[in-house]
Amino acid sequence: MRPTHRIEGCVPTGSVARTRRIETGEVPEAESIRRAQQGDAAAFERLYVLHSRRVYSLCLRMVGNTAEAEDLTQEAFLQLFRKIATFRGESAFSTWLHRLAVNVVLMKLRKKSGKETSLEQVTEPDEESGTPRRDFGAPDLVLSGSIDRVNLQRAVEQLPPGYKSVFVLHDVQGYEHNEIAEMMGCSIGNSKSQLHKARMRLRDLLQEELRSKAREDRRAAGSASGSEG
Amino acid sequence: MSKMGCNEFLNQLDAWMEGERTADARAHLHECAHCRGLVADMDAIRQTAGVWAAEEADPPAHVWVSLRARLEQEGLIRDEVHVDEPSRTERPRGWFAGIFGAVPRPALAGAYLLALVTVSVALTGPSTKQLNESRWIRGTQDSTGTLSAQLQNAERDSVSAMAESDPVVTASLHDNLAIVDNYIALCEKSVREEPENEIARDYLYDAYEQKADLLAQMTERGVNGR
Repeated sequence: MRPTHRIEGCVPTGSVARTRRIETGEVPEAESIRRAQQGDAAAFERLYVLHSRRVYSLCLRMVGNTAEAEDLTQEAFLQLFRKIATFRGESAFSTWLHRLAVNVVLMKLRKKSGKETSLEQVTEPDEESGTPRRDFGAPDLVLSGSIDRVNLQRAVEQLPPGYKSVFVLHDVQGYEHNEIAEMMGCSIGNSKSQLHKARMRLRDLLQEELRSKAREDRRAAGSASGSEG
Repeated sequence: MSKMGCNEFLNQLDAWMEGERTADARAHLHECAHCRGLVADMDAIRQTAGVWAAEEADPPAHVWVSLRARLEQEGLIRDEVHVDEPSRTERPRGWFAGIFGAVPRPALAGAYLLALVTVSVALTGPSTKQLNESRWIRGTQDSTGTLSAQLQNAERDSVSAMAESDPVVTASLHDNLAIVDNYIALCEKSVREEPENEIARDYLYDAYEQKADLLAQMTERGVNGR
């Protein structure tokens, strides 16, 4: 038999993993923000329930590691709740939260790469000119039908942090360039440029992976036919 | 024949992907297999990104538990909140509201929760949970046993701390402890019957946390002689 109710008045801690079972229509977000600004525990929890899935997914896509994504999610919400008293509603709450989350993740990525650099500096030198690299000599492999989410995720993990952030925010999370620009503190043009470079680099990485796989297959086929002979 | 070259098309690629397709670009694409391949690849990347977007997951429960403990430690969460215009949908204060209504959030509650969370996280591990369900179930069983033992120790300490307190308050707290214990027993039974049921496991952890919080408040009252 499964318990179907909570003991009322008890600490709601731990219930948030069951996001889908919580009735989110109960209190408007603005009311929850107002209450959280006064230190109301239930309001904090409700804001967490409303946004944690998206923030966690963003972190997970950016760092590709569940333990790190959990730490970053906690850190993003902690920063949010520390500053919530200063929220005046000039921008959407979710945009504010995601800007915080993106900054937390970027900080982490920069620390990992050992660089304290700005967003504009996290691209690679050969692509700073703004003209994407083209390698007309290499044979093209068709990605369509050959790549899946795992290939893509692996390739995204190899992108420089700036490219990665914009690609994940735009092509995966579905943000518009103006929103990304606001979150990342850059221009819309910069966001577009980074996305273009990110996609081109991803294409290179994915094609290289296909080539490596084709080489391995050929080697395996060669050694198999050699052992038969 | 198209006047557009490959580099020019490349400069318009993002506009093309957004649906802005000039006649020149169309003509170039019709003639250029290389750029057709490029567009096909970009479509493949975008489609795969869409598949990835559909795969969203909730963070594990312990993330909120740890976060809440941090919020309590930093004093960001307050028990007694005077909301200017109480909402009609406000959560009822419930069964121990009368007893704990005037008590400030005990610092010890956060410490207890933190200790419990540390134990549970150390024993179960979020990655393990996602990677190997059966191992996580075993981990859950191990860690709930540890949590249960920790709570028994904490209960002994809390009860002895209450020895000098007001007998009426002490009796009420013991009644509440009995209610939580019954809740825990119910949750433990659920987990035993359905060890693979994640919701049942979450409820059990939830019940332990409630007991930890209650014990912390008992200890606080005992220490403060209230």
